[in-house]
This record gives sequence, structure tokens and C-alpha cells, in this order.
Amino acid sequence: MANPMEQFAIERIGPPIVVAGNDFSFTNSSLWMLIAMLAVAAFLYIGTARPQLVPGRAQAAVEYVYEFIRDMLRENVGKEGLKYAPLIFALFVFVLSCNLLGLIPFVGAFTPTSHIAVTFGLAIIVFALVLIVGFAKHGLHFFKLFLPEGTPIFVLPLVAAIEFLSFLSRPFTLAIRLFANMTAGHVLLKVFGGFVVALGSFEALPYVFGIIPLGVNVALTALELLIAVVQAYVFALLASIYLNDAVNLH
Amino acid sequence: MPQFDPANFLPQIAWLAVIFAVLYFAVVRPTLPKVGRVIDEREGRVASDLDAAESAKGEADAIRTRYDDGMAAAREAAQAEVVTARADAGRGIESRMKELAAVLDGQAADAAARLAITRDAARATLAATTTALTGEAIARLTGMNVPADEIEAALAAQK
Repeated sequence: MANPMEQFAIERIGPPIVVAGNDFSFTNSSLWMLIAMLAVAAFLYIGTARPQLVPGRAQAAVEYVYEFIRDMLRENVGKEGLKYAPLIFALFVFVLSCNLLGLIPFVGAFTPTSHIAVTFGLAIIVFALVLIVGFAKHGLHFFKLFLPEGTPIFVLPLVAAIEFLSFLSRPFTLAIRLFANMTAGHVLLKVFGGFVVALGSFEALPYVFGIIPLGVNVALTALELLIAVVQAYVFALLASIYLNDAVNLH
Repeated sequence: MPQFDPANFLPQIAWLAVIFAVLYFAVVRPTLPKVGRVIDEREGRVASDLDAAESAKGEADAIRTRYDDGMAAAREAAQAEVVTARADAGRGIESRMKELAAVLDGQAADAAARLAITRDAARATLAATTTALTGEAIARLTGMNVPADEIEAALAAQK
């Protein structure tokens, strides 16, 4: 049986790019990020080619996703959050297309979001946005975020320390949640795929027993599609909730 | 797990930075606001259309009220007209009746006058005839010719 971790291997494509001893080589991960980016670009450029008051299909699709993000920001941040809609939109569609494209079978698809380096990079974008917006808007008052109002003075240091730690852990939880979900899903698919081969090659009754894990894999693929969408949603939702702290304190 | 191999971190993060920057600055920024503008425009259009419909409805209501008022006023005016017309007609009939009565009275008076003249004439004729007959009768009975004015005086005394 193939190692279910093999699918996550990073393979360098083309000549290694090394600058000052640092490796910037183009890899299969980069390739699928590029494909995801191009898919989003096609979606957006086609959808907004000729914006019309009464939208066509492509424009309606773009509008639907955009309104989804704007509603999320309106609900979690308020009207002020709407100006960050393009960034949250970019994060959402990028994570979503990486997740979904990685599920395509047979083409050797790679899921960049199953790598902690990628998800951490995306989480850092959110974290940096929160810090920049928070300090730009509130200056040093932004530190009040760690001092919840109405806390008794004698537990204040403890509460502040806990709040600070939970604030610092945000990029990690954001990154690990997405990476773990994607990795676990793909491992599961691969494991059951291995079962199909192992049980299907039973000498006396070939193929018959492979049907059961195959059915499971079909169901799992549906589940993974759901998880791909849900995790992209959760990522964007948490990004807007963290953004709310920066915009409105609390 | 290849995910935890530090050698894989930098190439991925570097390419993520490049690709996400391109995605954000070259794909999302130039395209998405176009759709945002269209959405805002559509919302504005719908809101203004609703406002226009609202004001048109108000106008229609005002016209309706004015129409009702006009109808009520017209009905009142018509009723007043009917009342005055009836009164006028009444007055007209009265005056006509008076006129007619006057005419009839005049005719009656004329007739009475004519009747009186005829009667007087008849009376005069009767008196003359009586005198003549009386004279004749006296002449036949007595053979005396009595003058007419004496007979007349005697007849007048008889009355």
C-alpha cells in the first residue's frame, strides 16, 4: 500500500532557485497555488468583464460570493469592516480554490492548504492585518484589548496574560485548523483508496470486496468537498471576527 | 510528514507571498470593486424606484382625494341648483297662474259688461215695446190716443 503521506511530498519543479543560500524553488505546491490563483482570476475577470445592472451568470456568481463576504463583515465587524471586504474575499476564494482543486482525482492534484507553511502564511496575513488596523485606529489604546472591562483589579494581571496568550495563539490555531482538516481528509481518502486496491486484488474473488471501501471513498469525497468549503468559510469568518477586535476593540 | 520538514517552509511561504500578492493586487483589487459599484448602483436604483413609486402613490392619493372632493362639491352644487330651479319653477307657475287669473278676470268683467249692456238694451227695448203695446191697447180699448211719454210716466209709477 502506498504511504498516505506521499501525497504531501514537496517536489521541486524546474531548476532550483537559491538566493543567498535560501531556497525559493518552484514546487508542486507553488504550481497548485498558481493554478488556484489563475482559477480565481478567471472567475473574477469573466464575472466582472462587463458589469451590468442586471447581472449575467458569471457576474451573479461573483456577486453572490462578494455579498456573502460583505454580509459576514457587516454582521461581525459592522459597516466599517466593509472596506476590508476585498482582502477577506481574496483569502476566502484562495483558500477555497486551493481546497477544492486539491480534491480533483487522477490529475496529480496537490493541496497547498494541507501544508502548515502555507496556512501559517495565510494566518500571518490575517494577524498582520489585525495588528496594523488595530494600532492605526486606536494607537496604544489597542492594548486595552487585553484588559476586558469590569474585571476585578486583583485578577487583572492574570486575565491580561491569558488574553495576550490567546491573542498570540490566533495565527497558530488559524493555521493548524485548516492544515489539519485538509491533511486528515486527504490521508483518509488515500487510506481508503489503498483499501480498494488491497481488497480488490483478493485472488479468489477479484474486484468484489473493493466495492465497499470504494463506496466509502465516494462518501468521503462528498464529505471532503463539504469540509473544503466549510474550512474556507471558517477561515474567513475567524478573520472577520479577529478584525472586529481591531476595529471595535470590545 | 513533509509538512514538518523545515526545508519545505521557505519555498512555499515565498511563493505564497508572491502568488497571494498577485491575487490581491492584480486580480481582486482591479475587478471586485467594479462589482461592488454595480451592487451599490443597483441598490440605489431600487431605493430610488421605491421612492418614486411611493411619491407616485401619494400623488395618486392626492388626486383621488381631490376627485372625491370635486365630486362632493359638484353633487352639492347640483342639489342646490335643483332646489333653486324648483323654487324658480314654482314662482313661474304662480306668476303664470296670476296672469291667467287676471286675464280670466278681465274676460269675465268684459263679459259682465257686455251682458249689462245687452240687458240694458233689452230692457230699453222692452220698455219701448211695453209703452207701444200699452198705447195700442189703450187706443183699441178706449179709442184714445195717449201720448207715449204719459204712458211711460204712468208705467214708471206702476213699478
